Amino acid sequence: MDDLYLILATLAFLGGFILAAVSLRSESAGKQGLNIPIAVVGLVFQSLFLQMRGEMHGRCPITNGAEVLVFVSWSIVIMYLALGKAFRLSLLGVFTMPMVFVFQVAAIVYLLAADPGPRPPATLDPWLELHAAMSLLAYGAFGLAGVAGVMYFFQDRQLKSHHPGRLFYSMPPIRYLVDALVRLLVIGTVLLSVGIVAAFFMKIVPDRGHLLISGAVWLVYLFLIVIHLVKRIPPKPLSFSAIIAFAFALLTLSAL
Amino acid sequence: MNHKTAPVELRERLAFAEKAVPQHLMEICGIAEISEAVVLSTCNRVEIYGGSENPGVALDKLVDYLVGHFAVSLGEVEFYRHESVAAAHHLFEVASGLDSMVLGETEIFGQVKKAYATAQTTGTTSRRMNKLFQQSFTVGKLVRTSTRIQQGSTSIGSAAVDLAEKIFGQLDGCRVMLIGAGEMSRTTAQSLLSRGAKSIIVSNRSFDKAEELAAELKGRAVRFDDWETCLDEVDIIISSTSAPHVVVKHEMIHRVMSGRRGHSLFLIDIAVPRDIEDDVNRIDNVYLYNIDQLEQIATEGKTRREKQIAVCREVIDEFLREKGIEALAGFPEGRGGSGPDRIQPDTVARPLTNP
Repeated sequence: MDDLYLILATLAFLGGFILAAVSLRSESAGKQGLNIPIAVVGLVFQSLFLQMRGEMHGRCPITNGAEVLVFVSWSIVIMYLALGKAFRLSLLGVFTMPMVFVFQVAAIVYLLAADPGPRPPATLDPWLELHAAMSLLAYGAFGLAGVAGVMYFFQDRQLKSHHPGRLFYSMPPIRYLVDALVRLLVIGTVLLSVGIVAAFFMKIVPDRGHLLISGAVWLVYLFLIVIHLVKRIPPKPLSFSAIIAFAFALLTLSAL
Repeated sequence: MNHKTAPVELRERLAFAEKAVPQHLMEICGIAEISEAVVLSTCNRVEIYGGSENPGVALDKLVDYLVGHFAVSLGEVEFYRHESVAAAHHLFEVASGLDSMVLGETEIFGQVKKAYATAQTTGTTSRRMNKLFQQSFTVGKLVRTSTRIQQGSTSIGSAAVDLAEKIFGQLDGCRVMLIGAGEMSRTTAQSLLSRGAKSIIVSNRSFDKAEELAAELKGRAVRFDDWETCLDEVDIIISSTSAPHVVVKHEMIHRVMSGRRGHSLFLIDIAVPRDIEDDVNRIDNVYLYNIDQLEQIATEGKTRREKQIAVCREVIDEFLREKGIEALAGFPEGRGGSGPDRIQPDTVARPLTNP
């Protein structure tokens, strides 16, 4: 049943992406508003999947690569739904959906290839749960910051080319993209900081590798924010850094 | 009549003075055959929407009224006339901006609302006009939200403003500098000011002219030798000097950008020959547009909007098909019974009639 929810969530995100792409190509502008309801549907199925996996393991469902990928994409969707409108980022969904879809497909492939099954916890530890949940929510914010970075490059290219296409008029202003990117980096870093602090209270001390990797990701983002606050990194290198930093964070996830 | 059927000389003679509209409405409804009336009088159109039991006679008397009260003679003005569904369709197109000089513009929507409010306050509307105009507001909004009729710029000024908004978002607080005090600069600066831009700085070889324009735009004038010192104060630069050589050089902008802490700079070069070195556009966060590029964006915008007309008409047709009975409550069946008629340019129809 959990697999079914995962597939349904993936189909919802695929549908959202196709609908947005078709809507952008069509002469009518009325269907872009469906993006959010579709993301909500996908989120509901993702939540059901995570809930079932959580019940199966008896703890936060991040016991294997597939679950981590779904949890990260769940975080990205949550961030998108919670902050997309607030940050006046129209079309964020169009750029977010493909990434979430890819994560979901990777998770399906992983589970089909070898589902490791239940991994009951040695002892239930709320600090561990907090550490995991905060860290993965932070990854959601970092993922969305990466998406804002991609959108910045897209819009910058359109402006520089002097031939803005149809998408240009639906995209947010580049200043808003940079503002949103910085806020997402700050939100993600704060969440990750809470997650790391929680790790120090865990009953089982995490292994040195895990700590080093988590600390490295945290330092990368902290460094980025501090440098930006002190020296104001120009938008292009900042966007590039947000994309690269998220790619790095994703790579480290596989090692955790 | 509108901007398509009558030149401005005729439109201005038939235009209803705003304060006199209630009086005219009362007089029009005083014509025995006309029971309801709304006057829509703007710089681009003079239209009278009315309800009548006897449309033929009502129309003749309405024409007599217009000839009697305005400085026009019979045969001088070509009035277009629509009835029933075609009249409703026409009003819906007007409210949607499809009949406007600038396709999809929004000002007309407010003007239709104001015309209806004036008639309502004067007491010259009843159930039919109320229904018709309220439906026109619904359709006007629907067309604008469900199509791309408002997308794309239609003039050099609006292209500049749209680009500025895609760079800075809301223009509140954006600072603008004009290098050269030409007409195009003034128009573009006014467009930016209308969207919230502030702190206009004007620099011109003739300082008197700079001061004059600065006073008009509520900005400040700067001597032409000093404009470079203001570069780091502004977000948008509009250059339109008649200098035969480059005025704004790559190294100037490069130097300024290092101190802008990542803030973008938008340069608009509307001078011929160009004032700003082309490779300025290569600098990060600097966006340079010359007059040809703005013109091209405006042309593409117009073409894009023209392509949208058919889509908008489909929306109106569908609305009339779906809500036909409600939209046209009180109108006769016949031409409008099974769906809207496309308004033909040569259609000579009667005014709206009672059942």
